[in-house]
Amino acid sequence: MHRSSEVKHVASYLNTRGCECFGQPCESHCPVLTDRTIHVQLKTFIKIRVKPDRTGVVTDGVKHSMNPFCEIAVEEAIKLKEKKLVKEVVAVSCGPQQVQETIRTALAMGADRGIHVEVSGKDYETLGPLQVSKIFAALAKKEQADLIILGKQAIDDDCNQTGQMIAALLDWPQGTFASEMTLEADKMKVVREVDGGLETIKIKLPAVVTADLRLNTPRYATLPNIMKAKKKKIANVKPADLGVDVCSRLEVLKVDEPPQRQAGVKVETVDDLVGKLKEAGRV
Amino acid sequence: MYRGIILCFRDQGTLNPFQRGTCCLMRRDTSQSLTPEISLRLFTPTCRFWTEKPELWPFPDPHWAIYWPGGQALARYLLNNPEVSGGRKVLDLGCGCGASAIAAKLTGASRVVANDIDPSETYNMIGSKPDAWDLILLGDMFYDEDLADRLHKWLQTCITTHGAQVLIGDPGRAQFESHDIRRLLHKLAHFELPDSVKEENYRLTNSTVWCYNYKPDL
Repeated sequence: MHRSSEVKHVASYLNTRGCECFGQPCESHCPVLTDRTIHVQLKTFIKIRVKPDRTGVVTDGVKHSMNPFCEIAVEEAIKLKEKKLVKEVVAVSCGPQQVQETIRTALAMGADRGIHVEVSGKDYETLGPLQVSKIFAALAKKEQADLIILGKQAIDDDCNQTGQMIAALLDWPQGTFASEMTLEADKMKVVREVDGGLETIKIKLPAVVTADLRLNTPRYATLPNIMKAKKKKIANVKPADLGVDVCSRLEVLKVDEPPQRQAGVKVETVDDLVGKLKEAGRV
Repeated sequence: MYRGIILCFRDQGTLNPFQRGTCCLMRRDTSQSLTPEISLRLFTPTCRFWTEKPELWPFPDPHWAIYWPGGQALARYLLNNPEVSGGRKVLDLGCGCGASAIAAKLTGASRVVANDIDPSETYNMIGSKPDAWDLILLGDMFYDEDLADRLHKWLQTCITTHGAQVLIGDPGRAQFESHDIRRLLHKLAHFELPDSVKEENYRLTNSTVWCYNYKPDL
């Protein structure tokens, strides 16, 4: 239900901007969100194409960047550190070598160190929320994390599952679609954006929180911070080191473009309209 | 050497293309630091490269174009305590924009050398045979673990050979806090950073000056 209202918002924005991605948000452009994010994303606008064998979309040569909801999550973590409420912020990403650039962006925003969980090739193509949440659950135990913050969903697959699955695997409380987070001793007060309005809950740490659009406005990575971030550490880890099997239990049968919109017909009068509708068997 | 000062005072016509480009890009820092009495030419948020990706920067890693918080604390401490550098031979190692060296000179140091590496120089003082410095200044030099290790060893040589006093300014970077040298330091001064410096240096809110008490095992 929350998802359908979100999709409506996405679709209406995309129509205004004339995006050609058939109303589906995709990783490289038009994620909808804040004005700043829209501006950045328009610079990297590309047309999404389905592969000829219809097993997925073309990702070769497509510039990837940090998921916008994850930028919001990183920003919130750094805000907590600035208020001296948390000791350390660790930025984690799963994927091939290129994700290191995204981790560096998080470091330039102010994270202390990074962890790159190396997943590449076929494993990366089939990597989904279940595998990612298993990886995160294992890392949370290893790093003895007290709080996991992530974006509510990725804008390429729109799954909105990873955060919830992590919480389930760890048996931790969760505060999803957070538009506000306040740490009060060992509890986190989370204001959630739900279809009926706003819900306020208090969850005990350790916990999982997923970031929604209005949680904050992420900062830019600036020159001095980018320079210092180059010297921050990024550890390399493989899923097998964490005891996680990334084999997917899902098989993609086919991927198709949405059907082309048919051209409409203009009529001069109401009588013409009624006549056309009768012809088409609609009245 | 005094890279910032050289660019400020030399006639534009004698500058090479690198230096001329640098002058065009840098703005004068007027007051937004711990040492408003020192005027510097730096990259600031109004420069067009401030939020650009590194590939689009005009220079690779321009450490010398930023007034780092560690150096700010050190320069402030020297200006507040003129007796620290008065009449002494001072080395500002990894001087960056040169502010600590300038502060040492302003407070009466007998000789000041500001040293740093950049693409046009190849001489790296760390690891070389140390000269007889009375005071060695290190502003924000512990941001890289490997560099910190080499620096630590070289400082020990300087202290055992010539009895140099070593002052370190650092804003609490993770690599500094977790390094071995940290337990050999004695706090001298602590400064809250101005709001604009906090905004420019994400997550850093204050900066500390430390004295390095190295005593070689007998």
